[in-house]
Amino acid sequence: MPPDTLRERITDYANRADPYPLYAELHENGVTRQNDGSYLVGTYHEIAALLHDPRISSDSRHRTDPETVPRIRREGQSMAFIGLDDPEHDRLRRITMRPFGPPHTPHRIDALRADITRICDELLDGLRDKDRIDIVEEFAYPLPVTVICRLLGVPQADVPRIHAWANDIIASLDVTPGRIGEHQLNAGVEAREAMAEYLGDLSDRRRTAPSDDMLSALVHDSGPDGPLTRSELMANATLLLIAGHETTVNLITNGTLTFLRHPDAYRQLRDEPELMPRAVEELLRYEPPVHLLPQRTPVTDVEVCDVTIPQGAPLILVLAAGNRDPLRFDHPDRFDPAREDNQHLGFGSGIHSCFGAPLARVETQIALNALLPHLEHFQLAEDPPPYRRSPILRGPRHLPITRTSGT
Amino acid sequence: MQIVVDLNRCQAYAQCVFLAPEVFELHGEETLMFMPTVPDDQQERARRAAAACPVQAILTGEQAGPGEW
Ligand code: HEM
Ligand code: SF4
Repeated sequence: MPPDTLRERITDYANRADPYPLYAELHENGVTRQNDGSYLVGTYHEIAALLHDPRISSDSRHRTDPETVPRIRREGQSMAFIGLDDPEHDRLRRITMRPFGPPHTPHRIDALRADITRICDELLDGLRDKDRIDIVEEFAYPLPVTVICRLLGVPQADVPRIHAWANDIIASLDVTPGRIGEHQLNAGVEAREAMAEYLGDLSDRRRTAPSDDMLSALVHDSGPDGPLTRSELMANATLLLIAGHETTVNLITNGTLTFLRHPDAYRQLRDEPELMPRAVEELLRYEPPVHLLPQRTPVTDVEVCDVTIPQGAPLILVLAAGNRDPLRFDHPDRFDPAREDNQHLGFGSGIHSCFGAPLARVETQIALNALLPHLEHFQLAEDPPPYRRSPILRGPRHLPITRTSGT
Repeated sequence: MQIVVDLNRCQAYAQCVFLAPEVFELHGEETLMFMPTVPDDQQERARRAAAACPVQAILTGEQAGPGEW
């Protein structure tokens, strides 16, 4: 099929369960201009180079046609650093990192381990006597949601509200604006505003009554860059909350699915849990939670593989295709939990590489180590499982598993 | 257990500092320091950090001193 329809075909929900043949077409065709004027890149070395190229912007205001970016906020509101370029991106990321990780707060994530382990055990206890389990609803989703809320300092009682807003926001993110209804888009904008307002109010309360959570540290312990303004804090805390919700769920679910599809790897990891950190890296390569980055724009004409990508054009980097590029990885379509050379693109690369990666790693390592022994007498109820709509945050919507008979 | 970080490869992503904060330390924003002999109670963390290093800059060995790498 013609390469200029690849974006359409990747977006087509019919290909969600198995987009990998399309990604192989991306490997063969290099940089391809799509019939809607966007450019698609799916080869490892080109993606990696573009992620380190200062001529490539994450700020959608560089788009020639603003209609090519989903509208997610109203005029006048601050932008989160994922959609900004340096030096503004760097300043906001640095301030936000201060209460989250090294050099200022090296222990916060490590200190969450015991909590994460306990949450996993509680969730799994609740599943002990069931014959049919939806891994997404009953394990992979509640865990990261609970953890990110605890990290930021959202009280447990408010978690259902956060959950509902996050659902509306995610439903409104699709790779092609116009494909989803105006109604859904507005619901997404409103949910993001409600979440930001909520976080603004919560941080006000932490200002007067601090606790040991990250929001308290953000409002109280500012470093050399000074504190975030209230509006900046709202935008960036919202980013953390959403990113903490909608990605790790896919990694845990994809991990479960992949182990159930690969019984040898399953047995090995169940028996040798210390191999899990490397297996999680392989999952990030083989079935990454974020399949593509739809928001890049060249600020000047950029030539890649003999194709000129014009200034202002939508540039889409297909990370999941780069992860399967045969020019970079040996046997890219093989799931090899002990793979050594594995500099995958699962967390992106360059200045925007995932802020929450250490948290996602810790959560997923603990979650899969805790889950695998429980899967002993279970099988997939459906293969492939039903997928979420999004081609960006791509993962199963449900992962039903059933107890095998005779046990 | 001994560890060695290939500092030519290390890009100061700090994944190791998150995962094993008693073993690795970031001085300023880009200088990585580490404890070459890992205390017993930190070995599992150090192994997790080695597995997660995006550029595989951390080498671990049970008895090897730096010279052997
Ligand atoms: C397995 C789970 C996760 C995956 C696969 C993932 C993936 C990614 C990717 C690919 C990017 C790069 C985006 C870009 O270059 O435009 C990114 C950025 C980001 N992620 Fe994650 N993420 C995960 C979990 C998390 C968590 C738990 C958090 C929050 C604590 C988080 C917060 C962020 C933030 C704030 C950014 C923006 C970084 C920047 O612009 O400098 N992520 N993530
Ligand atoms: S994780 Fe690897 S690259 Fe990052 S600071 Fe540690 S050794 Fe260096």
